[in-house]
Amino acid sequence: MAVLSPPPPAVAAVSPYKGARRRRFGEQERFMALLIAPAALLMLLFQVVPILIGANASFRDWALYDPKRTWVGLKHYVEVLGDPLFLTLVLPNTFLFMAVSVGGALCLGLALALLLNRPFRGQKVVQTVLLMPLMVAPVIAAIMLRWMFNDQFGIVNVVLEGLGFEGQPWLAQRWTAFAVIVFTDVWLWTPWFTLLLLAGLQSLPREPFEAASIDGAGRWATFRFVTLPLLRSIIVVCAVIRAIDAFRTFDIVWTLTGGGPGRSTELFSLYAYVFAFLNLDFGKGSAAAMIGAGVILIVGVLLFRVLDRLVEVSR
Amino acid sequence: MRKRLGWVLACTGMVLLLAGTSGAQAPKEIRVGYQPNPIQDASLAMMEKWGAKHGVKITKVPNSYGVYVEKMTASLTSNSDQYDVIWHNDDWGQLWKKLLEPMDDIPGLKFADKWGMDPIIFNNDDGKTTVVPLGHTFGAFFYRTDLLKESEVPKTHAELVTVSKKLQEAKKVKFGYVGAMAMNHTWFSWFWTMWTNECDVLLPVYNRDNATLAKNGWKSGMTEPCMKETAEYWWDAINTHKISPKGMPAYDRNEANAVFMAGDAAFTVADSVYWATFNDAAKSKVAGKVGISYFPLGPRRKDHFSWNDIWGWAVPKSISAERKKLAKQMLSDMMSDEEGQLELWKRTGAPPPNVQVWDRIAKDDEFMRQLKKYNMDIKRKAHSAYYFEKWPAVHKAFNDSATKALTGDRKDIPKALEEGAAAVHNAAK
Amino acid sequence: MRLGRRALFGLAVGLVCFLFAFPVLWLILTSLRPQSGVYYVHRGTELTLVNFAAVLQNERIVQAFVNSALISTLATVFSLMVTVTSGYMLSRFRGLLSRTWFGTIYVFRCVPYISWVLPLYFVTQAWGVYDSYTGLLLPHIAVHICFFSWLMKGFFDGIDGSMEQAALLDGCTRWGAFVRVALPAAMPAIAALAVLCWLFTWNEFLFALILTGQKTPVITVVMAQFVHEMGIEWHLMSATAVLALGPAFLLTLFGQKYVIRGLRI
Repeated sequence: MAVLSPPPPAVAAVSPYKGARRRRFGEQERFMALLIAPAALLMLLFQVVPILIGANASFRDWALYDPKRTWVGLKHYVEVLGDPLFLTLVLPNTFLFMAVSVGGALCLGLALALLLNRPFRGQKVVQTVLLMPLMVAPVIAAIMLRWMFNDQFGIVNVVLEGLGFEGQPWLAQRWTAFAVIVFTDVWLWTPWFTLLLLAGLQSLPREPFEAASIDGAGRWATFRFVTLPLLRSIIVVCAVIRAIDAFRTFDIVWTLTGGGPGRSTELFSLYAYVFAFLNLDFGKGSAAAMIGAGVILIVGVLLFRVLDRLVEVSR
Repeated sequence: MRKRLGWVLACTGMVLLLAGTSGAQAPKEIRVGYQPNPIQDASLAMMEKWGAKHGVKITKVPNSYGVYVEKMTASLTSNSDQYDVIWHNDDWGQLWKKLLEPMDDIPGLKFADKWGMDPIIFNNDDGKTTVVPLGHTFGAFFYRTDLLKESEVPKTHAELVTVSKKLQEAKKVKFGYVGAMAMNHTWFSWFWTMWTNECDVLLPVYNRDNATLAKNGWKSGMTEPCMKETAEYWWDAINTHKISPKGMPAYDRNEANAVFMAGDAAFTVADSVYWATFNDAAKSKVAGKVGISYFPLGPRRKDHFSWNDIWGWAVPKSISAERKKLAKQMLSDMMSDEEGQLELWKRTGAPPPNVQVWDRIAKDDEFMRQLKKYNMDIKRKAHSAYYFEKWPAVHKAFNDSATKALTGDRKDIPKALEEGAAAVHNAAK
Repeated sequence: MRLGRRALFGLAVGLVCFLFAFPVLWLILTSLRPQSGVYYVHRGTELTLVNFAAVLQNERIVQAFVNSALISTLATVFSLMVTVTSGYMLSRFRGLLSRTWFGTIYVFRCVPYISWVLPLYFVTQAWGVYDSYTGLLLPHIAVHICFFSWLMKGFFDGIDGSMEQAALLDGCTRWGAFVRVALPAAMPAIAALAVLCWLFTWNEFLFALILTGQKTPVITVVMAQFVHEMGIEWHLMSATAVLALGPAFLLTLFGQKYVIRGLRI
């Protein structure tokens, strides 16, 4: 097998400012600060402040209908962490959902991005069709899919029964309901991956690919040893961001199953929502949300490290 | 000198005139916070008519379902001066009692139905009510008039099974019974069968007095034999006798009504206002073939059953005194507005708040007569919810446990009910 | 042999396309059915435009469309302006400030909406921007900061910095080097983000629900008003959703071609 020349090292970030650093320290810092100033201000006003208010509420006795706001310290946190259902049902459900739906959407999205990367007849049409799930509001899509999977009037069972199979009560059983939730999530988010990975592929330099084809590398080898390492940072960013958001998924699960049947598909964000908005116990709901934030923060960092190494190993 | 005096007098007169007219021209306004819904829309139409007659502008502020309670609660507790009149419901009757203006000085309330205005639901700590009703809502037992004569309608739970099976075997209908079971739609399956079997979420059965419930330690009725019967009844209905669809534990009322309206079920329980929809040919395939009857009774209850609750309007405590007076005047006049209430009935099929109008409607309207016979005139009614802050949590705990019992094995039902009782008790105390 | 593989491949692609398109097509079909046929869509073949007529007569819907389009466009433009610079900073500078900024946006991104969406409501009310364009735009932009910055960092990482260095040595200002050299090279990424941002804001529900009231109707919230205590008016909701698909479809069609560049760098 031909030896593949390694991809050019220019991929690593070569900052144009490295050498000039010590000479123009003040001016450079000012430029840096200017670049992020508007973002920082917006974040402070509309994200940091509300989050801090929410965090403050998690340490207080704060029911929406009777905001006494007395300090209770870690009482809510202890209650949430001590709830066996939280640890044995809600968190595992959430991690499973996260792993399967992000993994599925990533792989499918990457495959489709590779497909769309080269021009072929009908590419425009295929590309538009593949981006269709992005055009629908997630809640609408969830309602639509809920009724498509209804055991009486849903088209899925109608087709299944037409083909001679037995129609399933999709949303009345734990694992079929879970499958529907994962299917909905993958359906909604694969185009997101596709679009971003396609942009990534389109931005890649040509030379490594030309070199690989000169070396006589097959399609799979090119993918593994040229495409994947070059695309590494985009893949990892997309996967981690999507994992964080998948962990926080609420609206599609609430619409599809409400956490049912009997809480068996309850995800972490539903757990927090029920406390904060159904029971109107804002303090406890906020504490549950904060715990989730902590979990996803750590998981995100770990995921980043793991994925980074995983994609690198394929070199 | 005289000229100047004249000029001063003229100016003063002009100023006084302008001040007087601008004072008289200060526009009167009532801001109404509500949730878009046919019944509320009809009540708002009454408000607008009143506003036109009295020169008051009615500003409608719709709020979306799903966040109505949270947004409204946040608005009330922060004393923000956003609304003069808000939609009120028995579900949060006690939740907002400290935040709402007492309404006992409204003369129009004498026309209201006593059951709906039950002090347990809407009274504040001074014993004064905080609501003015706008209409009645309750569930009704619907059946297909083309499949059964009225005398054949099942009178007990057991008969519901046998009649359903007979209809299914004769291929006249796909399922005997369909009804919503998912959270927040519990009334249309669990609750009505539970209540017709002398059973309830908390003990003592049918009791809604918070003091009594507390004294009883917030004990749940889920481990009572009556509840086991109810759970096994539904388990058998779905799995053994197959008179209900397998997906029913996950159904909300849209889905259950859809199955009924497509003609695939012979019986259902739904909000009484759906009678109009079920019989509308543009919306339903069984139009003209739907009637209502008494709820079939369980083995433990012998007299008829129904539930009946009101939707209403309330006034926040934090607004100015003159706005309160104006709002209360409007709400009182609406109680006597018989024409407007007739219109509300015609548009929605919901019994209006003035009980005298009921008899007037019943004279000409067959459906009102039926509603009175099968629901409103029943002696021993129940309230369809509990009235303490933790009720939503208790309701969810009940529904989750009941669904778990229903979607597991039949032999695991007692265990699921026991866990459910613990969950309900913990949520309530 | 190769033809067989190509046919199989084509079949697989066809199947995927079908699965992606089907729910949307089913939605369109549902909206064309009369109210008696919106659940059992497959039973009966009656098609009607009655639902669309009913929806378009609602004056709030038209206003909501205009508002949503405006807000989506403004949110996209401003988000990109604010976050592309942020991503550039993260890519080109590796000092303490850069690491702190990255850590900050990451940490705050992890907090679920449940705990701070209601405080956001209080905050926008306190600052007087509740139920206004500003009040809806600014939180949307704030939420995009982490993801867009991080992604743009990734794209800028892949763009060789030597060209900018050359520009600087030629006498270009830092800002000039950024605008004239780095930005054009990142065009596919910016186009992709623009499309995603527009669609996301167009279809966004939670913030719109919490932060708008009477004065700023937005399409997703107006759709939500077909859901009420006594059921969902699915015939009207699906018609509105299909109408909302229109601009989304056009934008995706339009924006896609900027993602695909004939040239490579």
